[in-house]
Amino acid sequence: MVDVDKFIPTENITLFRSCLVSAEYPGVEASTKFVFDKLGVEYVIDRNQSCCTGLGHYYDIFDELSTTALAARNFSYAIRNNHKQYVPMCATCYAILKTSAKILNEKDDVREEINKAFRENGLEEFQYNKGDIDPRDDITHVVDVLYYLKDKIPEFKKRDISNLTIATHHGCHYCKVHYNDTLCGYRNPEIIDKICEVMEAPALQWYDHKPRHCGSGFRQRYANRELSLDATVDKFESLHKEKVDVLLVMCPNCQLQFDRYEQVLEDMTGDKHYFAVMNIAQLVALYMGADPYKVLGIQTHTVNVEPLLDKLGIEYDSTEDTLHVRNE
Amino acid sequence: MSETNRIGVFLCHCGGNISDNVDLDKIEEKLSENEEICSIKHHENLCSLEGRNIIKDQILRENLDKVVISACSKITHGATFQKYIQPLNPYLFEMPNVREQCSWVTEDKDKSTKKALSLINSAIETVKYNEPLKKIPTKVKNSVLVIGAGISGITTANSLAKQGMEVTLIEKRPAVGGAMIQVGKVFTPDKMSEDCAACLLNPVIDEMVHNDKITLLTNTVLERSSRNAGNFDVILRKKPDYIDPEKCTSCGKCTQACPSFAPDEWNEGLNNRKAVYKPFPQAVPSTYTLDDDFCIKCGACINVCPTNAINLDAIDEIISLTVGAVVIATGHQRFDTNKRPEYGHPFYEDVLSQMQLARLMGINGPTNGHLQVPSTGKVPRRVVMIQCVGSRDQMPDGHKYCSKVCCMVALKNANLIHSHYPDTEVIICYTDIRTPGVYEKYYKYVQDNGIQLIRGRPGEIAREDDHLIVRIEDTLTHNKQEIPTDLVVLSAALESSQGTIDAAKTLGVPLTEDKFIKEKHPKMQPVSTDIEGIFVCGTAQGPKDITDSIIQANTASTKISELINGGLEVEPHIASINVKKCVLCGKCVDNCRYQALSIYQNSIRVGPIACTGCGDCIITCPQEAISIQGQSDERLEASIKGILKDKDDDEQIIIAFLDDIGNVSANNMGINRVECPSSIRIINVPFINRVKYKHIKYALTHGADGVFLGEYPDSYKHDEIRENVQVMKKHLQEDGINPERLIIHSVFIPYFRGLASQFKEFDDVLATLSS
Repeated sequence: MVDVDKFIPTENITLFRSCLVSAEYPGVEASTKFVFDKLGVEYVIDRNQSCCTGLGHYYDIFDELSTTALAARNFSYAIRNNHKQYVPMCATCYAILKTSAKILNEKDDVREEINKAFRENGLEEFQYNKGDIDPRDDITHVVDVLYYLKDKIPEFKKRDISNLTIATHHGCHYCKVHYNDTLCGYRNPEIIDKICEVMEAPALQWYDHKPRHCGSGFRQRYANRELSLDATVDKFESLHKEKVDVLLVMCPNCQLQFDRYEQVLEDMTGDKHYFAVMNIAQLVALYMGADPYKVLGIQTHTVNVEPLLDKLGIEYDSTEDTLHVRNE
Repeated sequence: MSETNRIGVFLCHCGGNISDNVDLDKIEEKLSENEEICSIKHHENLCSLEGRNIIKDQILRENLDKVVISACSKITHGATFQKYIQPLNPYLFEMPNVREQCSWVTEDKDKSTKKALSLINSAIETVKYNEPLKKIPTKVKNSVLVIGAGISGITTANSLAKQGMEVTLIEKRPAVGGAMIQVGKVFTPDKMSEDCAACLLNPVIDEMVHNDKITLLTNTVLERSSRNAGNFDVILRKKPDYIDPEKCTSCGKCTQACPSFAPDEWNEGLNNRKAVYKPFPQAVPSTYTLDDDFCIKCGACINVCPTNAINLDAIDEIISLTVGAVVIATGHQRFDTNKRPEYGHPFYEDVLSQMQLARLMGINGPTNGHLQVPSTGKVPRRVVMIQCVGSRDQMPDGHKYCSKVCCMVALKNANLIHSHYPDTEVIICYTDIRTPGVYEKYYKYVQDNGIQLIRGRPGEIAREDDHLIVRIEDTLTHNKQEIPTDLVVLSAALESSQGTIDAAKTLGVPLTEDKFIKEKHPKMQPVSTDIEGIFVCGTAQGPKDITDSIIQANTASTKISELINGGLEVEPHIASINVKKCVLCGKCVDNCRYQALSIYQNSIRVGPIACTGCGDCIITCPQEAISIQGQSDERLEASIKGILKDKDDDEQIIIAFLDDIGNVSANNMGINRVECPSSIRIINVPFINRVKYKHIKYALTHGADGVFLGEYPDSYKHDEIRENVQVMKKHLQEDGINPERLIIHSVFIPYFRGLASQFKEFDDVLATLSS
């Protein structure tokens, strides 16, 4: 196991579900579970869990207090369930939960206001006690866990993925919100790169705009579409220049920005170079032999992943994709 | 304490300052009931020569052995009365501060009189425990260790040697000169010119080499240090002399024969050197050296050496020394620009640091002074400099401070480029230009020469075709730009060197949060450290330029001269060990932050220069074997007892233990006539930790309504003191005493009004508690 200076859980985990993962790329969750099962990570899914409020929060629909109250509620479920290690799949959930735990631990008046609201509404069981959740040790991203166990990954190798040109794109809310908890750098983030290395599929060491954000900016994508896409274009062009086969992400927001908007970006730039957009958990699952449709859920991607499978010589049954409209 | 005391009390009127608001007759009447008081005298101004005669006369006539002088603050006239009580020992008197801390801050004359009496009573009880003490004359060894032979270390060494001290100057690297010898050019703001650094430095180095009192040891580091009374026993480790300096003639044949290469530090890795080499042509010492990290021990050099100077089996030399003082002049290192991948230093060879640029422009550099783009070998068409790389950076891996010299370094190098290559355009991207004093003139001069400046920190650097692109937002115009350029130069932050951090650890000197050597006081004592006898100068203490380094180096040597040549008389309030109780467990030695204690020949030895009398060791000693001379626990208890002696039933009394800062703040309250509750009785203690739980409990069970602790928070003990108060509050609770009767506040000299209102508030709280 890798030597890291923060605690990384391998058991007592609540896999914190993400709205965007569930709604847009459910294969990311299926892939994460597939990989966790292989690696022997002990986790549960909690059906009582609510959204972290991320999208709404950054849209100014949910204020800090409601966000923190909701986090307190979620924490109480995880604790009672004896699985208080929260492991989100989305960088935003990761950052929001950490911030909420910090507020709940450090701001006595806020914690008391929230607890009071719980009491007044007959929700005593949600009350948060100072220190219930350690923001550093009790909230870790899926990628942290994969990185921690990376040396075990090759034991489950089923497919060779070594002939891919890979670029990595790291979530801002993983890298740049809680700097001190970020593993493997944030100016040149490399945590996904390190996981790729063990699969003998090294990512590009550097490409222009590598540490830049994806451009989604939550509300920006919808409210300031042009501004948002302008930012995405820089990175998109750079990826074209590097002729990458796949862009690996760790956050469904980024995945959405590059995958769903690929056609728009191509129209804006006139660049037409194929690359797939995948979550690192999906690639690890593929490496471990997971079914592209049943586990990776590639039928939910806008940019077809099949050409990538072709390049890797992986067989698949395209009729399993019941979502894309095909001109046959 | 003698069985019976013969105490004399002198009451100063202070020209009405005291007597107008304190009924001294009434006080005299009360005091005369005390049998131990053999004499009570009044005077208008006791500090006058007439006062002196009265005091002296009474001491002789009445055969007094202790004296209490009720007057002003000890700060004002303590030294005066210390002289006036001769022939008594100067430590056998007490001065209740009835002016600043009583008559000036209490409106009601009855209350003021009552308070004055209780302060005088306290002094009477206290003085009984005063012992005859002597100032301690000290002498330390006439030799100094200077760590680091850059401009700061060499300057200090020269100055110390000229003042007659034996100096050992050690340098980790094979040659002396530090960063200054490497930079090539330095700017001279009054001449508006760039001058040869080596030409300025070489005479200083020569002076050092030729001074018989200086022993220079290169390739040498400090390995261990222990405090031995006023001196330091140090152990140095010198790397093996593979090449005998006595035999080496610097012919250079070994270098030609050597097959092994290593990056050349002198040229900042821009080229390679051999494993056996001379650091640079003008290196001092001028002999060749061998880098054992890269030597493959093939013996090729041995075969060609005409003087048989090479021995590959040489071993380390361990040198032990005893010195009276140590100077840390270990300098700085530059921020690792690889930590800023967005600036491309790890990826693009045409991204350089300012020091690499300096080497590239240096006549003794890799290109013999020709500015060339590394990837093409051509003169650059444009050079973009980026300031504040690693400085003024709020991210965890950056430095929050300004590195102070980089603006001038960039302007200097920009102007050098401009004057040698007028066709090359230079752009400096800056955060703010900081050129204080006359440096501003140089800035204007460089600007007038056509150097362009853009305010903004570039986001990133990319490679495009045959050149680099600098992406920046001009924060004055809010324009985003992409600047094509051949060369990018990064102004990397100055940071604490590994040598500095190692020296601090070995010597037990604290570091600042930025890992520079922490001075004793950043304003008032900028070259001293917490360890008396250890000094700091140059960039080991923080970023600074050559001029400031030299000033600080000379200051350090002056302070050492005071210590070594002047000899010191130290106040006697230092730790003293009861050898009967001491079991030599060594806890006090490990705990003493000032390294004042050491185990020597089966007893604990106290270094009088190093000991500050803080009393921290008293708390750590499990045997209760340590006391501070003249400040026993019993004496402190007596001070409390005296205050509470004539307390009326309906009277509220707060005992305020104030440290020296708090005491001065309380005096300021008097000087500014800020009213203070009459319940407040101040006892000045050297450090708040000196007040033990037993004292607080004694006070609260013998009549005091409350105990107030006033602590200057800027001490390393602050957190511990605060925790300790919480613990004491718990003890009070256990002992059935309301913990709210104990309070601690921070004190500051200028905030005497704040202190007064804290006193008032506590007074009110206690009034409601008792009702």
